[in-house]
Amino acid sequence: MKLLKPSWVTHDGKPIFSVDIHPDGTKFATGGQGEDSGKVVIWNMAPVLREDDEKNENIPKMLCQMDNHLACVNCVRWSNNGLYLASGGDDKLVMVWKKAAFIGPSTVFGSSSKLANVEQWRCVTILRNHTGDVMDVAWSPHDVWLASCSVDNTIVIWNARKFPEIVTTLKGHTGLVKGLTWDPVGKYIASQADDHSLKVWRTMDWQLETNITKPFNECGGTTHVLRLSWSPDGQYVVSAHAMNNSGPTAQIIERDGWKTNMDFVGHRKAVTVVKFNPKIFKKKQRNGNAPRPSCPYCCCAVGSKDRSLSVWLTSLKRPLVVIHDLFDKSIMDITWTLNGLGVLVCSMDGTVAFLDFSQDELGDPLNEEEKNTIHQNIYGKSLAVTMETQLSTTVIENPEMLKYQQERQAAQSAIIAQATGPDNQTPKLANVVNGESLEDIRKNLLKKQVETRTADGRRRITPLCIAQLDTGDFSPALFNSVPILPGSSVSTTLIPQLSSDSNTATSLCLRAPPEPPATSPTKNTDDKESGNPSVNSAALKSNLLLTSASKIEPMKALDSRFTERSKPAPGMFSVCVRGKEASGHKDWKVKEDTSSDSEDKGTQRIPPLAKRKADMDGVEVVEKRKKGRPRKDTKIMMNVPHSYPQVRAVYLGLENELCVRACVRPCVQVGTDPVTYVEVENEVSVVAGARISQLRCCREKSEWDIVLPSRIVLTAGSSDVVAVACEDRTLSVFSASGRRLIPSIMLPAPMSALHCSAFFVMALTASATLSVWYANDPSVPHSTVNQCVLTEQGVPVVGLSSGKTYCFSPSMETWNLIVDKQDSLVQCADFRNCISSLGALGATGPLAITQGRNLSAGQLASRLSSAPHHLQQGMTLAFLENQLCSSLLLLSANEYRHWLLIYTRFLVSEGYEQRLRELCKDLLGPVHKSSSTSWEPKVLGLRKRDLLMEVLPVVGQNLRFQRLFTEYQDQLELLRLK
Amino acid sequence: MAKVQVLNVAVLDNPSPFGNPFQFEITFECMEDLPEDLEWKIIYVGSAESEEYDQTLDSVLVGPVPAGRHMFVFQADAPVPSLIPESDAVGVTVVLITCTYRGQEFIRIGYYVNNEYTDAELRENPPLKPDYGQLQRNILASNPRVTRFHINWEGGSEKMEDSENVDPAPNAMLPPACPPGKALGLMPDNSMDCL
Repeated sequence: MKLLKPSWVTHDGKPIFSVDIHPDGTKFATGGQGEDSGKVVIWNMAPVLREDDEKNENIPKMLCQMDNHLACVNCVRWSNNGLYLASGGDDKLVMVWKKAAFIGPSTVFGSSSKLANVEQWRCVTILRNHTGDVMDVAWSPHDVWLASCSVDNTIVIWNARKFPEIVTTLKGHTGLVKGLTWDPVGKYIASQADDHSLKVWRTMDWQLETNITKPFNECGGTTHVLRLSWSPDGQYVVSAHAMNNSGPTAQIIERDGWKTNMDFVGHRKAVTVVKFNPKIFKKKQRNGNAPRPSCPYCCCAVGSKDRSLSVWLTSLKRPLVVIHDLFDKSIMDITWTLNGLGVLVCSMDGTVAFLDFSQDELGDPLNEEEKNTIHQNIYGKSLAVTMETQLSTTVIENPEMLKYQQERQAAQSAIIAQATGPDNQTPKLANVVNGESLEDIRKNLLKKQVETRTADGRRRITPLCIAQLDTGDFSPALFNSVPILPGSSVSTTLIPQLSSDSNTATSLCLRAPPEPPATSPTKNTDDKESGNPSVNSAALKSNLLLTSASKIEPMKALDSRFTERSKPAPGMFSVCVRGKEASGHKDWKVKEDTSSDSEDKGTQRIPPLAKRKADMDGVEVVEKRKKGRPRKDTKIMMNVPHSYPQVRAVYLGLENELCVRACVRPCVQVGTDPVTYVEVENEVSVVAGARISQLRCCREKSEWDIVLPSRIVLTAGSSDVVAVACEDRTLSVFSASGRRLIPSIMLPAPMSALHCSAFFVMALTASATLSVWYANDPSVPHSTVNQCVLTEQGVPVVGLSSGKTYCFSPSMETWNLIVDKQDSLVQCADFRNCISSLGALGATGPLAITQGRNLSAGQLASRLSSAPHHLQQGMTLAFLENQLCSSLLLLSANEYRHWLLIYTRFLVSEGYEQRLRELCKDLLGPVHKSSSTSWEPKVLGLRKRDLLMEVLPVVGQNLRFQRLFTEYQDQLELLRLK
Repeated sequence: MAKVQVLNVAVLDNPSPFGNPFQFEITFECMEDLPEDLEWKIIYVGSAESEEYDQTLDSVLVGPVPAGRHMFVFQADAPVPSLIPESDAVGVTVVLITCTYRGQEFIRIGYYVNNEYTDAELRENPPLKPDYGQLQRNILASNPRVTRFHINWEGGSEKMEDSENVDPAPNAMLPPACPPGKALGLMPDNSMDCL
């Protein structure tokens, strides 16, 4: 371990209250007292890390200082994506800072110091709500929320996507709240206050999860800050100042049951700050030694009022290192570098210290993928969707991909170069406004500026706007459009800059999906429990971890009580193993829900039932019966008889329709080899009463799920397709990997049987008449035809007053639903990330006309941000596939291409490999011509292989798909040579 | 925090004959759209002895001010010689630029001004009655003294804390009436936020 006290990191001797290292490790921020205001300073990290850089006069040490806070700054925190810095201070304000992209070095006007600000950070938002000093701020995982706590006893959760919107205010503490920490999985936030309590709040409903007081009862006196920390594996929270046997400790709180059995002891005065290393470590394998499987462990730094710092590994009983007399006054804040080997500590005495560890001392840090695997194993979900950090470790495997990536980078840097003007090094304030240089303008400014007289005869000058603030990222208007610049001041050079700025906004969104990683109560947990191996490719790669990850070394630092294995995290419940032991007869396995999460689900389902009661007459009997029974029937596992060797179908019945709808989890085995399970879940609650149904299919190692807007009543499958009939009399057919093959077919009457074999789907309806079926459709009573269109391609389209639009498919001889304005999928789909800048052009055509301006896609999407990510993913996917099929049906080539590209982008960004592969396969067709193949080389007059050429670059954007990219690129190349 | 930050003031037409108008090119940045105009003033300190010799050369409203970076040139006529005590016409004095929002002053920029005869003869033997036609005004543009005050930027009735709302007290920061040299000397080197 190396220790350094960079003397140049100083607030002129005034206390430094907070320090935080930027996620990219190139800079860090300090916050504290300034001359007569609060002060935030951004420093260069390089001179701390390397002596040469420290001596090099040309390398700036201070990058920027901001003295906008009116009073002492208590906390500075970078957002996880590194774009923003949040600071909170005694002036009751939280300020959010962003780097100004195109303003060069400057000094503060009138200040005597000639030190230039190398970087320009400007305040983009001031968050006012607290009525007392802000003590701590914390960004949630994925930067969805920003939390701030204050001496006004409250915690405010701000919507980090829409500052200054307040999500909620957490009230409950009866003393000054002095520390905050988010659960790395995003399910909780913990706070510690002077009221001798540590509270854990749920992010699902922002209610108190637990209130821990016992370890803090003895705490007396006041500690300036109480910065607690959550371990990177999510299993432990470590508090600041706690007491045990009248000695100061840092209390370890287990996630499992919020038990408080262990603590860190040794400090002689109150613990002010605890900070976990962001990395999880595993033992370093020494040369010669046979690799022994060891448990991963965490690392934690503890700072105290006794001016000493201790660093602990959870695999050791004693601290790794204790450093006394590092400072003259209390330690105030600690921050780790992202690689986990460096730590910066700041003190009230106005100095900072840097500790540099080696891997020999701490161990081998797990990479992001392994860390995600651990999360996946403990919580059934991974934090990363496609994280950049994850990709950085991926090796580019072939020259094609490398070339492509390089081209992309070159293109990007070209854009940046363009944006920053010819002089790259010192991007200056726009030199040209309206084609005039700033110098010219300045010469004539007096003559040109508009001067008027007010009513009372005073002079009034309209100032010339020379630059927009480049801080519009929070405004949605910037999302896909160049912002409207006020009249005469539109700057020609500003436009590329601003649009490049909006690009960053887009990429930011791509990186951070709009959902909080709130736990999904159902999906992943029971995937796991059902005995199917997890399909996560990451999990497969690092199978060594699969075995060990579930038992992360608990903290036995001082207490040897060892919890052998973390119990199933809350939210898991056991489900019987499906399929394998299915006997030849129908048997209903009824399982009682065991966890609180599924209890919630159960209760959520009650209201729709009650509502139905009002809707329908004559069902009261059934209803009562349901109520009378224990709530067991909310979850029923069903195994289907093996009556057909190839085809399995489940008939959920029409005569006892209600029962079936209420029950919700039939499990169907499809086919014998490979074993396929289809699982249906109706009434998945989303938002604002919108409900969707979910169909999940597992086949060997692969698994997919789709969502449908209506309840599923019947499902059947074969080795190639899965067919689903819904309550609204639509029939949907999906491919083996879950891609929608044909648009929803409207059936004239309720379905009575459904069979699949290979690619054939057989549907039997209660009535065989096809005539005027839509008028008889009970789901659209009294609806009239209000739109009747014949498209250019001769496809008849009929719109009903119910908001549904159908078109007739001559080849299938059915009416197909193409638009449903009430469709919750449409409202919930969020694919805005995937619309390219040029995309809007392709969106004109018959589909756009029929869907019209009323297509409210994404209307609810923002509200959904609290819904589980996979649900929204599913809904977006379903919507996009609907669009694709509808444009196919309408013979609208342009729109097909448009939606195909959006669909591909979505698949790529969300990582749907199988669907992507199938899509590519279909577009490529067979490489060798044979008479037996029925592959059409064209779709709607577009050559499929041409489409593939458009699709492939999109695929190449995600390094995860490089093999797919290469595979099809090569084959395309091959075909072209032929 | 202040919604308006002054980024730069360029002194134009400097040095210049005493009778020329003052010209300052002011660049400022605004964090958010301001619903009301800014009021800028140029005050010429006629005599260090008394405030009564201060001349407000001009005041001007600047608006509308949307969020962004803006610039304008503030031009004001030269001080009226007859209002300046004869003994103070030649030598060092001060010119002030102030800006107020909703009647509250949030920034005060002070420049030393040196008035002297260009003619060596006159410099040696200045006439008893100042010859304004021969005087040259030289503003020490490189060394502005900036004092910033915290004000209540919101229009609401919400009162700021007292310490932030106090009027710039005469002895706390550059008072227009102080002896110029002394007044500027009193100001701390880093004259930010004297309160």
